[in-house]
Amino acid sequence: MLTNDKQVYKIEEVTGFERDILKFISPDLRNAIRKVAVRDLMYTEEIRLRVNKPVMIQNDKGSFFLEATGELKIRPENPVYVNQEQIIKTVELISENSIYAFQDEIRNGYITLKGGHRVGITGKAVLDGTAVKNIKDISGINIRISKEVNGCSNEILKYIVQGENDIYNTLIISPPKCGKTTILRDIAKNISDGVAHLGLKGLKVGIVDERSEIAACFKGSPQKQVGVRTDVLDACPKQLGMSMLLRSMSPDVIITDEIGSSGDKEALMQVINAGVKIITTAHGYNISQLKLRKEVLAMLEEKVFERLIVLSSYNGPGTLEEVIDGSNMKFLYRREKL
Amino acid sequence: MILKILGSLIVFISCSLLGYSHARTYAKRPEELKVLQTLLQIFENEISFLSNILREAFQKVYSCTDSSVAVFFKATIENLDDGLCASEAWTKAVRENISKTNLNSEDENIIISFGKMLGSSDLEGQIKNIRLTVNQLKIQEQKAEELRSKNERMFKNLGVLGGLAIIILLF
Repeated sequence: MLTNDKQVYKIEEVTGFERDILKFISPDLRNAIRKVAVRDLMYTEEIRLRVNKPVMIQNDKGSFFLEATGELKIRPENPVYVNQEQIIKTVELISENSIYAFQDEIRNGYITLKGGHRVGITGKAVLDGTAVKNIKDISGINIRISKEVNGCSNEILKYIVQGENDIYNTLIISPPKCGKTTILRDIAKNISDGVAHLGLKGLKVGIVDERSEIAACFKGSPQKQVGVRTDVLDACPKQLGMSMLLRSMSPDVIITDEIGSSGDKEALMQVINAGVKIITTAHGYNISQLKLRKEVLAMLEEKVFERLIVLSSYNGPGTLEEVIDGSNMKFLYRREKL
Repeated sequence: MILKILGSLIVFISCSLLGYSHARTYAKRPEELKVLQTLLQIFENEISFLSNILREAFQKVYSCTDSSVAVFFKATIENLDDGLCASEAWTKAVRENISKTNLNSEDENIIISFGKMLGSSDLEGQIKNIRLTVNQLKIQEQKAEELRSKNERMFKNLGVLGGLAIIILLF
């Protein structure tokens, strides 16, 4: 019975993978990827296509080259090569023949797919003054598959929750690929739904989802679970979005991803001065490295954040490295290093 | 005698109908060109203000009207679903369906060239392309209107009079 259930679940996952990701890859490459063993495919984290280079697939075991037989090899023997036409076709499929609808995203170097998966692109930048206007002759595509992991924030939540109606202003610090966005999403869901064992009642959550990654909105409605009391402002620039939410939706908590550009501090201060809590993330390996960034340093010095949480991928993505009380910079938790 | 009258009546009616139906094609062409311009304006709004993807935008455009020219948009959606790229899908849709409308080959060329840039440039480029096509269609519409005012009445009269002429000759 159990195996039966598992089988059904897997088929659902496979069709989801087919619908959300494979559909957007050019047909010949799609067929080559289909030959990969289902187990390996389901744990795929990244699919990389580069012109005249073999297809690369990264999963939980590492990164591999795709062989024509469907095997994944660390050293390519007879790999599947990608050509320019296949890349063009893939971009066409990803943008659904509507480059104009994605021009703002392309300018930033990525396109977000319906399921919240982000596709990074490289090529030749076309400039308009100093700003990038477009990317042409696209030569590299990286499809990053986003995962929804229920309960991945359980360990962290107890450091964030403060009483039954309140939480701490929190900054999550993590290098890329450590599950920052996944954890942020799970935190949003938990805070919004309430956490029974910590005595937290549900709070009104507003998400400013600049890159459509947290809630993965399609036609405005979230495709991922972000909680019952959550409002999502999709594809809106952070600074604008935060003040918009503040004025319009009276949230208890505002959640946003990847702060650190100039002007973010003012927007954050505006939120905090209004008595609204904030949870956000920043790229970085540790606190001292984060201090090198002017904008973030200013926020740390003003003690904007009451909790600083550092993640790593030491024991798999989302390993809790340390938790620091932002008001006195004392450790609340530190992973024991063996 | 009765047979003769009956026969000539049939000749008269069929000639008049022939004239009227020919006159109608002249009346329909400017109408279709006008609708096509409106549809392109709707398409422009769909992509510029609502930032919809091509397929959705075409779907909206298609569902806006029951005019015969909407068939281009519907066929394009079907072709896109078959995996063609946007310009191929549009060209194929126009080529296959132009005979269902009253548009001529000059119009066809303009409509097909609209598809060349479809979906493959930024918004500004798309809008320029739409405006250019609308302007060209407007000129076509004026021409068609002139032709209509010249020919519509003529063909109607020709039909009726031609019918009468045949009857007179037969008698």
